[in-house]
Amino acid sequence: MVSGVSVALDERKKRPTFEGALPFPEEHYRDLKRRHIIRLGLTYLAPLLILIVYFYFIYTALVTESRRLHLKAVAENQANTLDLFLSERLVNISNLIDDPKFQVPPSPESMERYLQKLISNSDAFVDVGFFDSTGIQTGYAGPYPSLENRNYASEPWYQTLKEQNQEYVITDIYLGFRELPHFTIAVWRIVNDQFVVLRATLSPNKIYEYIVSLEGAGEVLTAIVNRDGYYQLVTPHMGTPLESSAMVPPIEPRLGVEQVKIDGQTINYCYSWLKSADWALIVQQSSMAGGTSLSGIQLRLILISAFLLLFGVFMIVYRSRRLVEFQIESDRTRMQLEHAAKLASVGELAAGIAHEINNPLAVISEEAGLMKDLMNPEFGDPQPPQDLVVHLDNIEESVFRCRDITRKLLGFVRQTELDLKPHDIHVILNEVVDGILGPEIAVSNITVVREYGEHIPKLVTDKNQLLQVVLNIINNAVDAIGNAAGTITITTENTGKQVRIGIADTGGGMTSGQLDKIFMPFYTTKEVGKGTGLGLSVSYGIIKSFGGKIEVASEVGGGSTFTIVLPAKSKS
Amino acid sequence: MDEKQIKLLIVDDEVKFLNSIAQRLEMRGFDVTKASNGQEAVAAAQSGKFDLALLDLKMPGMDGTEVLAVLKKEHKYLEVIILTGHGSMDSAVECTKLGAFSYLPKPYELEKLLDTLRQAYEARLNKKFQSDQARMDKIARLATGSSALSILREMRKLDDEEK
Repeated sequence: MVSGVSVALDERKKRPTFEGALPFPEEHYRDLKRRHIIRLGLTYLAPLLILIVYFYFIYTALVTESRRLHLKAVAENQANTLDLFLSERLVNISNLIDDPKFQVPPSPESMERYLQKLISNSDAFVDVGFFDSTGIQTGYAGPYPSLENRNYASEPWYQTLKEQNQEYVITDIYLGFRELPHFTIAVWRIVNDQFVVLRATLSPNKIYEYIVSLEGAGEVLTAIVNRDGYYQLVTPHMGTPLESSAMVPPIEPRLGVEQVKIDGQTINYCYSWLKSADWALIVQQSSMAGGTSLSGIQLRLILISAFLLLFGVFMIVYRSRRLVEFQIESDRTRMQLEHAAKLASVGELAAGIAHEINNPLAVISEEAGLMKDLMNPEFGDPQPPQDLVVHLDNIEESVFRCRDITRKLLGFVRQTELDLKPHDIHVILNEVVDGILGPEIAVSNITVVREYGEHIPKLVTDKNQLLQVVLNIINNAVDAIGNAAGTITITTENTGKQVRIGIADTGGGMTSGQLDKIFMPFYTTKEVGKGTGLGLSVSYGIIKSFGGKIEVASEVGGGSTFTIVLPAKSKS
Repeated sequence: MDEKQIKLLIVDDEVKFLNSIAQRLEMRGFDVTKASNGQEAVAAAQSGKFDLALLDLKMPGMDGTEVLAVLKKEHKYLEVIILTGHGSMDSAVECTKLGAFSYLPKPYELEKLLDTLRQAYEARLNKKFQSDQARMDKIARLATGSSALSILREMRKLDDEEK
């Protein structure tokens, strides 16, 4: 009894240092935190991420669509303007030839006057020429006087003009006799029954300058290609005139958006066929302009998303830490409760065991007294010392019996770190039945029947904790049987996934009302002062922490069976 | 005490204890019979006559309280002293209710045991004396008005209860 109390006091003194330490190894909690983070991340961040990606794609699609529409509008607008421009130039030339004062052939002075008139209309005009019915340029004004009197009859534009019904032609850009890029607007008339042609050439550079001065031209790269896909006018970024273009727009529809891959890069361009010439105007989003105009919104979107994600990650890490802290706190409380229950059951046990000490003490007292008597002359001749040895042996043996009892008590009560090792459960069961509860069972009318199964694997567990659980349950079984005769049957079984330890008593059993409450803390059916009501609730906690469970079957008058179910392969 | 040896039955499953206490009490003039379990005790009680009994409570098989009940039934004047290591107020009260004379927790001083034995023996003698006295009175009353046969019958009863 005395030893039990001093042990309890020692343990209480140790408590404060014990509270600072983690109930389980640090890795256990790190792992727990990691699992919390993953779980919370999947629950909260994953949908957010999906939403962000979804909205990003929707946004990008919208932006792309709006860019296409914008490009289309720009292309159409520019094409219309260019058409108008070309029509005006055509009208300028037509006005000259349709003038009633127009003479065939025109004099050099009038040619000069015509040129001045054209240039005053548009500075894109370079020169003007008059061709007689044979195709010879009989009149010319402009910077290339050598072209005068040249025969153009075999030139493609002249042939086209002659063969077609249309009264004019606007050529593609070509080098021609002057060997400089230019294009021609030519009109024919029948004057005095003669097929005459007046043509003017225009400088592509001037037209290009005109195009880039148009509204909206700053945001786009503009080019003009002919039907065969050769650049007519082009921004230096895209190519050079008369070079073959990768962008060959289809004839139909007249206005559209196409995609082309250049150097592995997908480029969207918009085209619009001109009405006046066989040219298509192509606009392409200027990468710099496109980038800056939209990146502001995109950047904002990305920043907001990043902030939301960061906030989410922060919250999850914070929550996980709190959860782990809570877990540590609850583990700590549970361990303290376990310890309290252990002390309480030690108290109960101590009462039983202390009585056990009285028996050897009585032997010692009697043997010592007997020896005194044997040496007392009052009771006859003193005995020779060798005859006393047997009594001394008995004393010694009884002392060791006392020591074994106190050692058992101490060994059980000592709070140790959780120590997971493979243990043979039969050894643990025997230790409880033969060791700790041995003396109590020996003087009772209880028969313990052991039906141990075969091939029971060693379980990775904490020996002290499992011992505590088994002790609690067998102790209850002993109490349930009481003074009557009874049997406690201990069975073990390996079902492959689980190891089942059954402890069945032939005691009074429990009502279903009692059964519902037995795992509640502080619930006890024992007399006041005999039970704390903590044993089973703590046992349940311990077995749960091992990943197992405790099953109970009981019937009033039919005894109770507690089954400890443990996973055959414990978590390491 | 000396003129007539006190017949004492000691019941205890702790054999070493049983032997040494028996030897010590024999040295002090008791006529001791040993029983190391409940069954032996009952058997001894049925075959012999005892004045006093020392009885352990916690024993395998037959419990001390059961033995106490049997002993008290077999021997009207037998006084039983409970000797046990599992001492508690509850069990002491229970045993006294069942008719135990006294209750000594183990380990004890021998002097105390001897005192208790002495008191128990006196109590037994007293009880027997009073019972005998009552019987004698009855015989005397009968003698005045009854037949010799009924007197004889009463005397036989008296003898039987000597057991």
